[in-house]
Amino acid sequence: MTAGLVAVLFVAAGLVSVGAFIAAWRRDLTIALAGIPLMFAGAGTAFAGVSRFAAAPAGGGQLLGQEVAVLLAVAALAAVVLGVGLAGREGRR
Amino acid sequence: MDSLHAIGFYVSAAVSLAGGLSVAFLPDRLRRGIALGAVAIGVAGIYLSLSAGFAALVALACYGGCAVLLAGPSYRIFESVTATVWRQLGAIASAVLLIALAYAAYFGAFHHANYFGGDFGSAALGRRLFAHDALATEAVAALVLVALVGSTIAWRSRDRSR
Repeated sequence: MTAGLVAVLFVAAGLVSVGAFIAAWRRDLTIALAGIPLMFAGAGTAFAGVSRFAAAPAGGGQLLGQEVAVLLAVAALAAVVLGVGLAGREGRR
Repeated sequence: MDSLHAIGFYVSAAVSLAGGLSVAFLPDRLRRGIALGAVAIGVAGIYLSLSAGFAALVALACYGGCAVLLAGPSYRIFESVTATVWRQLGAIASAVLLIALAYAAYFGAFHHANYFGGDFGSAALGRRLFAHDALATEAVAALVLVALVGSTIAWRSRDRSR
């Protein structure tokens, strides 16, 4: 049993699409915020997978995808913090 | 990729995709938060099976933090005024996006890519983050600072108006 780059990219596509579906479908904007981490996670998965499978083992190319995945995760958390703060200002319980 | 890594990858992918679909359809915020936590665990498992251990730890912390925020007591309902037809069009567009991305992944000639395994790599990754690509790290740090300050100002103005 093995998993190739195509499987990684399929999973990344699924995560991005589910995130876009949540952001578009839910009427409550605070729930729609939950789509942002999913889309960012899908993008990070694609970056990590491509750098692991397709980059040359020497020269630090493998770490570039991991680096982008780390930065995307932090950016997703920042976006959700700001969104929850703004929704808490304007929204209702 | 050996069998153990492949099994871990497929299980983690199933957990993350099922968690994402649960976030889309579950009714109450606590269950949605648990589902988003499952997404965090699944994504961390995917990174771990791709030999990206440090990225897995950061993803678990950040996406788990998102789950805690969206399931916590600070949650407020904020209804949009978007018409139903636009939301339905958005859902159809996300399905089209899935088809397009899957088409690109399958017909993109990625079948012959080789797998290069690696170790945990936190020291080398830290050197890239704070020395080689320090500007990108600084930009994300500025984004986090703006988000925290903006969120604090929003909450303080809400408390002052009550």
